[in-house]
Amino acid sequence: MAEVTLSDVRKSYGAVDIIHGVDLEIRDGEFVVLVGPSGCGKSTLLRMIAGLETITGGDIKIGGRVVNDLDPKDRDIAMVFQNYALYPHMTVATNMGFSLEHRGTSKAEIAERVKWAADILGLAHLLDRYPRQLSGGQRQRVAMGRAIVRDPQVFLFDEPLSNLDAKLRVVMRGEIKSLHQKLKTTTVYVTHDQVEAMTMADKIVVLSGGKVEQIGAPLDLYDRPVNQFVAGFIGSPAMNFLPGTITSEGFSAPGIMLPLPEAVHEFRDRKAVYGIRPEHFVLDDNGVPAEIILVEPMGSETQVTMKLGETQVTGVFRERVSLSPGATIRVRPDLASIHLFAADGGQCLN
Amino acid sequence: MKAELSPRMKTSLYGLMCVLLIPFVFPTWWMVTSSVKPISDIFAFPPQLVPQNYDWTTYSKVFELQPFVQQYWNSAYIAAVVTIGTMIVSSMAGYAFARIRFPFANTIFMIVLLGLLIPSEVTIVPLFQMFLKAGMVNTHWPLILVPIFGAPSVFATFVMRQFFVTLPTELEEAARVDGLGRFKIFRKIALPLAKPALASVAIFTFLHSWNLFLEPIVFLSSAEKFTLPQALTQYTDAYGGPMWNIQLAAATLTALPVLIVFIIAQKQFVEGLAHTGLKG
Repeated sequence: MAEVTLSDVRKSYGAVDIIHGVDLEIRDGEFVVLVGPSGCGKSTLLRMIAGLETITGGDIKIGGRVVNDLDPKDRDIAMVFQNYALYPHMTVATNMGFSLEHRGTSKAEIAERVKWAADILGLAHLLDRYPRQLSGGQRQRVAMGRAIVRDPQVFLFDEPLSNLDAKLRVVMRGEIKSLHQKLKTTTVYVTHDQVEAMTMADKIVVLSGGKVEQIGAPLDLYDRPVNQFVAGFIGSPAMNFLPGTITSEGFSAPGIMLPLPEAVHEFRDRKAVYGIRPEHFVLDDNGVPAEIILVEPMGSETQVTMKLGETQVTGVFRERVSLSPGATIRVRPDLASIHLFAADGGQCLN
Repeated sequence: MKAELSPRMKTSLYGLMCVLLIPFVFPTWWMVTSSVKPISDIFAFPPQLVPQNYDWTTYSKVFELQPFVQQYWNSAYIAAVVTIGTMIVSSMAGYAFARIRFPFANTIFMIVLLGLLIPSEVTIVPLFQMFLKAGMVNTHWPLILVPIFGAPSVFATFVMRQFFVTLPTELEEAARVDGLGRFKIFRKIALPLAKPALASVAIFTFLHSWNLFLEPIVFLSSAEKFTLPQALTQYTDAYGGPMWNIQLAAATLTALPVLIVFIIAQKQFVEGLAHTGLKG
């Protein structure tokens, strides 16, 4: 196990900058998720940590040692790839023991390590099979087995669940998390799925356009996003945004006046974006009117698409209320949970 | 789902296939049957599709008139060496062109491919001069070196490159993380996965070498050095006329190993073609 440190890490392809100076400290045993939309550079960053991509600038340290110029094999890392990357011509056991074989480990020890990993991952009965004879979930487990069998300092996961169906993804998510709790190996995990990030991470790194937008614990990012991008990216359904102006009466959005907490009146007359999460709307007869467009009962909650003034927003209500499209309800934003973002740049104001 | 053909359609389809088969099967049938006919029956009219009289001595005469066993061995070992050599050279070159980034890789590959456009008749004279100077004329070296480093190997390199390009790069990256260097990745990961392409290269190369005719008649002059295609031309009577039945018996014996190889490796052959996206 080891800590991983990235200091001003950069990557360019010719004149095009892909990663713009990333600083990141990953503590020993921490589970860090790099999350962001497609093309934000999260996989490139992971591949740079792995040594599969060269870095253009900065330093990467694993266990206190600068690894910028080291081959992947010398970094003491193990990686799980999006498409599993299992060797098709080798059995599960050979796939899992392959790296040990090339590090001069004795056959007896390889067999022992493979058995240990197979037992942890429930693969013991599949050791003689070939990858083509396995299901998606089993292949994923073998890929993890291949990673853990070596007991590396750092695990790197590159969107490992993206090829699985929704149900299996939830199962495997739990398995990866419990594996981490068992082994306590430093883990860097890349995903574009913010639910995966929220449920698995000790720390989330939100990336956009090759820059770090925010680093923090999942709930920190959820409750205190530093800008509109993070606020919109973290959370499902996404946070609602209403553009408008902060006035002495409240927030003037197109076609509606929304209440504001006292503390933000210092930004009076400033153009801003009003951010509110779907679950922070409260049904209240004294609230603002909202026209219902769509009602989606989910069982435990009801998701309602509605029009606040001229802006379409989503609300999530725990109460079982009978609502129908076209009707008007009254909702009140929970003032303690609203976010205001600068109209220029999207930085959080409150 | 595949639509089931009606019995009538099926019969028509098989009938059509049988007709299309005739131009491919008839020459082989004619060769084999004529090899056991007396020479007068070969030209009998109407032609005898099934021999009326059998003359099995043609096969023993094949061995009496020429050092046929030696020539068989020459063809066999040359084809084997050329096949193995081409597999080694083309797989390594194909892998390098597909996977290793080096300056002007594509340009160099294009230049290499140009070698395919030059017919062997154009290069045979300079090659003869070259091998003459090297003292290799009337040896088997030209028949081994020219295919391994010449046009047949270029074709094989192209086939192998096309295959390696399709191999997922993640497999190699996984191997790098697992601790393998470039050559081990090639040997332990890429090459075992390239078996179908290698099989088609092996079959193409073996056939090419086995059937090679121009080079042997240019480079070889003594009967015990001859390869089979060249030996076939030697079954003539005192006036230089071909002894058809003996020649066809020798041709049958010559075609036999190729036929056996194809029957055994038919699946790999077809798979290899499908993999490389090439037509035969």
